[in-house]
Amino acid sequence: MRNSWIAWLVIAVLLATSGAFAAPGLPAKPARLTMAVVAGGETKGLKAILPMWEKEKGVKVTLVEFPYPTLYEKLVTAFQANAATFDLLIADDPWMPKFGSEGWLVPLDSTFGYKRESDIFSVVYDLGSWPPPRGPVPPGEKAKARHLYAITLVGNVEFFMYRKDLVSAPKTWADVVRNAKKVYDPKKPIYGFVIRGAKGNPVISEFTPLLLSYGGRIFDDNWKVVLNSKQSVDALTFFAKTLKQYAPRGVENYDAAERAREVATGRAAQGFIWPAEITDIVENPAVSKVVGKMGYTLAPAGPGGRHTPLMGNWLLAIPKGSKNQRWAYEFILWATSAKVQRPYALGGGIPFRKSVLMNSEMNKKFPFFRAMADSLQAPAQWRPRTQEWFAVEAILGTHVNAALAGLETPQDAIAKAAREIEQHMKEAGYYR
Amino acid sequence: MAPPVLLLAALVAYPLIYNIGLSLRNYRTGEFVGLHNFARAFQDPLLFASLRATTIYVTSALVLEIALGLSLALLVHRTIRSGWARTLIYLLFIIPMVTPPVSAGVIARLIYTPTYGVLNAGLRAVGLIGEDILWLSRADTAMFAVVSVDVWQWMPFVFLVCFAGFQAVPQDAVEAALVDGAGGWHLFRHIEFPYLSSLLLLVLIFRFTDTFRVFDHVLVLTGGGPGATTEFLSVYLYRIAFKFFNLGYAAAVSLFVLAVSSLAFAILGRYLGREVAE
Repeated sequence: MRNSWIAWLVIAVLLATSGAFAAPGLPAKPARLTMAVVAGGETKGLKAILPMWEKEKGVKVTLVEFPYPTLYEKLVTAFQANAATFDLLIADDPWMPKFGSEGWLVPLDSTFGYKRESDIFSVVYDLGSWPPPRGPVPPGEKAKARHLYAITLVGNVEFFMYRKDLVSAPKTWADVVRNAKKVYDPKKPIYGFVIRGAKGNPVISEFTPLLLSYGGRIFDDNWKVVLNSKQSVDALTFFAKTLKQYAPRGVENYDAAERAREVATGRAAQGFIWPAEITDIVENPAVSKVVGKMGYTLAPAGPGGRHTPLMGNWLLAIPKGSKNQRWAYEFILWATSAKVQRPYALGGGIPFRKSVLMNSEMNKKFPFFRAMADSLQAPAQWRPRTQEWFAVEAILGTHVNAALAGLETPQDAIAKAAREIEQHMKEAGYYR
Repeated sequence: MAPPVLLLAALVAYPLIYNIGLSLRNYRTGEFVGLHNFARAFQDPLLFASLRATTIYVTSALVLEIALGLSLALLVHRTIRSGWARTLIYLLFIIPMVTPPVSAGVIARLIYTPTYGVLNAGLRAVGLIGEDILWLSRADTAMFAVVSVDVWQWMPFVFLVCFAGFQAVPQDAVEAALVDGAGGWHLFRHIEFPYLSSLLLLVLIFRFTDTFRVFDHVLVLTGGGPGATTEFLSVYLYRIAFKFFNLGYAAAVSLFVLAVSSLAFAILGRYLGREVAE
C-alpha cells in the first residue's frame, strides 16, 4: 500500500516536471501556433528567430504568408467570422484603427497584465493602443477605455539617406536643396534627390513627413479637414517643383524599388528610405555600388524646425478568435524581449528597442540604427488614426501625383484633395 | 426547375440582386438610403473623368485593333500561301493572347520605364531621341502605353477571326471578280468585306465589353496615373470598393457600368442580328 502511494508520488513528480505540462500560468502546449504575416523582407528577422523559440519552448509556429493587400483581406475575413484561423498576426500600423475599433484583438494589458518597459520608445506603445492617446479619435471611440492591443515587431520608421562622400548630413530641407544643387549633374548622371512619386501610397509615404514638417495637417483634432492651408500648398510646391528639379526624370512613376535602385547604382545622392530597403538593396554588396558610402539621419526639418519622420511599424497582436491566446501572448513577450532583439536584428529583422538601436556595436554593423532611434524618439508621426485612411491616402495620392506630373498646380491639387477628402469623411459619418 | 436554370440563378441572379440591395444602403450603417448612391454617382466629377478616360481608351483600342487586325489578316491572306508559314504566324499571334494581363503589364513596364526601358534605349540608339520620353509620366503617352498593351494582346484575336473569315469567302466569287478586272481594293470592298462584316461586328462586341472592363495591366503599368489620367471605370470602381470601402457606392457604380455595357451590347447586337439575317 505504502509502495503504491510512493509510486504514484514519483509518477506525479515526473509528470509535473516533464514537457507535457507548461510552466506555471501557462496552459498545455498547443500543437502549433498559426501566424498570419506579410510576404516580404518584413518577416526576415522573424524567420531567423523562430527556430530559437521552438527549441526553447517546444511549440511550433507556422507562418502563413500573404501579399500586403491580401493579408488585410484575409485578416478582416477571419475576424468577421471570429474564426480560430490565426493565433497571431502582424499588422501594418494603419490597420489599427479598423482592428481596434471593431474590437477584434485581445487587449494585452487587461487580459495578461502586460507592463510597459523603458527600453521601448513610448511612441511604439502609443501606436499599438486604441483609442489613440493623441490626435483626433474617430467618432464613437472616445468613450472607450484605452488598451494596449499590439506591440511592434518590425520597427519600421522612415528616415533620410545621403551620400556622405558627396554631401554633409542635411538637418533641414534647405540643406537638402543645397546638397542637391551641389551634386546635380544630369550628364553624369547624378541627381540631387530621388522621389518615390507613384500615385497613391508610394507618393504619400514620401510627401507626408514633408507636409508635417511644413506645419501642414490633413485633419484637426475634430476631424475637420484643414489640408487646404498655406503650409500644405508650400509643402507641395516645394515637393513638386523645387525637389523635383533635382530628381531623375520619370519619378512620377517611381515606387520604392526604383528609388532604392537609383541610390544603389550611384545615380541619386539623397532621399527618404525605409530600413528594409537598406538591408535588401542599398547596403547589399550583391547589388549596390554605394555600400559604406551612405549616411543616415533624421527626416529633415521644415521651416518651423520640426523633424517629423513617418512611422510604419508592423505590430504583433492576438485575434480574439484564437484558441491559444495565452501561448500567443507568450510568443509576443518572447519575440519582443531584449534578449531576442539582437539575434532578430542580426537575422535581418528591424528592431525597435533602445538598447539595440543605440548599441555602438550594432551601429557599426547597421549604420542606420542610430537614425532609426532618433526618428522614433523625435517622436515619429503616425498616419491619422482612422479607418478611412486608405481612402484619404488614395485621394491625396492622386492629386499629389498629379501635381508632381505637372497636371495640376499645387494649389489646385491641395484644394481638390481637401474637397474630396471632406466629402468622403462626410459620407463616412464623421460629420453630423 | 431544371438544375441548369437553378445554377444560373445562383451564379448570376443572386449576386445581381445582392448588388442591387447593397447599392440602396449605406454600407457602414446598413441603413436604407434609396437612390442616394446613384444620385451621388451623377454628381461625381471623378466618375465622369473616368468615363471620359474609358471612352478614349475603348475608342483608340478598338479602332487600332480592328484596323491592324483586319489589315494584317488581308495581307497574310493575299501574300502568304505556304502552310507552314501560316501556321508559324498563328502560333506567334497566339502568344500575346495567352499571356496573363498582369504579366503583359509587367512586360510593358519594363519597356516603357524611362531610364532603363527597352523602348527609350532603342530610340536613343538609332538617334530618334536625345532625351528619354517619360512614357508613363505624361497624360498622352501614358494613355498610349496602356492602349498599346491592349492592342498587342488582342489585335491577334481580331487577326485570327478575320483571317478565318477570309478563308470562308467563296473562291468562285473572287475569281469572277478578278476575271472582270476588279483590283485589290474593289475585291476587298465588294466581295470579301460583305462576308466579313458580321464577324467584324461580333469582334467589335467582344472587344468592346473587354476594353470597357479593362483593369489588370493598367493597374500594373500606371496604377491609374499620372494623376487620374488612366483611372478607367474599373480602376475607379476598384478604388471605391477596396480603398474607400464604400461598397454601397461601388455597387451603384457597378450597376451603372452594367447598364452602359448592356446598352452598347443591345445596340451592337441589333446590327449583328440584321447582318446575320441578310
